[in-house]
Amino acid sequence: MASIRLRNIVKTFGGPNVISNLSLDIDDREFVVFVGPSGCGKSTLLRIIAGLEPVTEGDVFIGEQRVNTLPAARRNIAMVFQDYALYPHMTVYGNMAFALELRGLSKAEIDTRVRRAATMLDIEPYLDRRPKALSGGQRQRVAMGRAIVRDPQAFLFDEPLSNLDARLRGQVRAEIKALSQQLKTTMIFVTHDQVEAMTMADRIVVLHAGVIQQYDTPEQVYEKPANQFVAGFIGSPTMNFLPVRLQGDSVVLAGDGRALSLGDEHRGRLRSAGGEATLGVRPEHLVLCNPGDGIAASIKLVEPLGSDTMVHFDLAGTAAIARVDPATKPKVGETIALRMAPSRVHMFDVKSGQVLA
Amino acid sequence: MSSTLSAAWARRLNTLQLVLVGIFLLAPVVWMVLASFKQSSDVIAYPPTLLFTPTIENYRALIETTPFLSYAINSIIVTVGSTTLGIVFGVPAAFVISWTRVSWPAVLTLAARMVPGALFLLPWYILFRNLGMIGSYWPLILSHAVITMPIVIWILLPYFDGIPRSIYEAAQVDGCSVTRVLWRIALPLVGSGVAIAAILAFVFSWNFFLFVLVLSTSDTKTMIAASFNFVGEGSTRWGVLMAVATLIALPPLMLAMVVQRWLVAGLTLGAVKG
Repeated sequence: MASIRLRNIVKTFGGPNVISNLSLDIDDREFVVFVGPSGCGKSTLLRIIAGLEPVTEGDVFIGEQRVNTLPAARRNIAMVFQDYALYPHMTVYGNMAFALELRGLSKAEIDTRVRRAATMLDIEPYLDRRPKALSGGQRQRVAMGRAIVRDPQAFLFDEPLSNLDARLRGQVRAEIKALSQQLKTTMIFVTHDQVEAMTMADRIVVLHAGVIQQYDTPEQVYEKPANQFVAGFIGSPTMNFLPVRLQGDSVVLAGDGRALSLGDEHRGRLRSAGGEATLGVRPEHLVLCNPGDGIAASIKLVEPLGSDTMVHFDLAGTAAIARVDPATKPKVGETIALRMAPSRVHMFDVKSGQVLA
Repeated sequence: MSSTLSAAWARRLNTLQLVLVGIFLLAPVVWMVLASFKQSSDVIAYPPTLLFTPTIENYRALIETTPFLSYAINSIIVTVGSTTLGIVFGVPAAFVISWTRVSWPAVLTLAARMVPGALFLLPWYILFRNLGMIGSYWPLILSHAVITMPIVIWILLPYFDGIPRSIYEAAQVDGCSVTRVLWRIALPLVGSGVAIAAILAFVFSWNFFLFVLVLSTSDTKTMIAASFNFVGEGSTRWGVLMAVATLIALPPLMLAMVVQRWLVAGLTLGAVKG
């Protein structure tokens, strides 16, 4: 078990920086998720920590040790790969025992550790099988077992759930979370799936273009996004963004000039930003109300999900979504009135996208 | 109905093509084998005689008048030696080329293989003579390694490239050095490729004529170089020449028959990998 510290990491593959001057502290026993769109540098960052990719600039510390020049083999970290990367010519037992054999552990010790991990992951019946004789979910467990037996300083997961079907993904996600609580080891999990990030992490690192956009708890990232990118990336359906401006003492929709009742705090923010901003509000924070108490909108599409119903409409020329109670039975073409609680509204700078404090 | 008919015709045409190509390729081999069992006069008879009284006279002459067994042993020593060298150095070379994704060494080995062999002969002869190696097997083994190593590298490259990169990386994270990744992970996964490469290297080295012609001495002469003894300025002993050619062709032919299935798979692996 160890903390992991990254200091001023720069990574380039010859062209523009993939990671730009990135610093990050991961506490001992913490479960941190790197999340971001494809090409944001999250897997590169994980590979840098693993020792599979050298840094162009900066320092990597595992515990108190600077590991920049330490090969992957000597970092005592375990990694679960997206395609599991099991050794096809070895049995499940062989796969799990391999790293321990390299360390020179006794056969008895290896056997104890392999069987303990196999029991924990419910793969004991498959120990004599080759990977090709296993299902995707079983292979995934073997890959985790191979990591667990080593008792490493940290576990690194590189999108390990992306090859599983939706049902299995949910199940394994819960198992990994339970495992992290059981093992109490530092874990870093890379994903592009924000649901995985939200459900598993102690803290989330949201990455975009090689830069950390926000590093905080899932609740904070969801409730208080640092910028428009984070606000748009975390949450499904995505947050609604509406251009607004200050007109006299009122905050109005830039598209059609309709006034929004948002209170002094937001007016002050808009004023400090020069009178223009992007308003962000999550679909669940747009609430149906009586006509006259909110903004009127005409429903364009209704998506019933069972537990909720997604209502698509147009607000001052911008497409928006509201999550409503299915009991309201909204219909296409119907005009509804919506209001938003000022405390649930975010204001972002039009140019930089940073949240207006 | 018509489609069934045309499919039947297509099958027949395919078979006909195969038969024609087979005749074209096998005719010289059949002629060689038949000629080795003919009297000298029958070998050069025109038109060629298909019906003749077979004799083993040519084989007897070969064994009685030449140190044929020594030539055969020399051939085996040179071929096994150069194939071993090719495998010992070619396998790690192919692995490192695949690992580093630096392809110029592979191109270089291919270029060395593509330039005319005669280009090497004079510098090598001088080099080996100055090193006092002429008369030993080493000049032959080392020169044939130039034949075998590119074969091993180029056969194995697609095999190594076909192993998912993440398997190598998993092994590194598990504690393997690069050497150990090759030994414990990559090599067991390309076992059939190594077998194919070894067999092809063996065949190419076994049949290579030019280097042994110049670099061998009477003590180290291989079968293929010795066969040249039967080609004279005034007359050629065609019957004995065909007998020695038949014996030279036997080991590669037998090897090819044993491993033909792997051989085709091995040679086309790079093409179908995508």
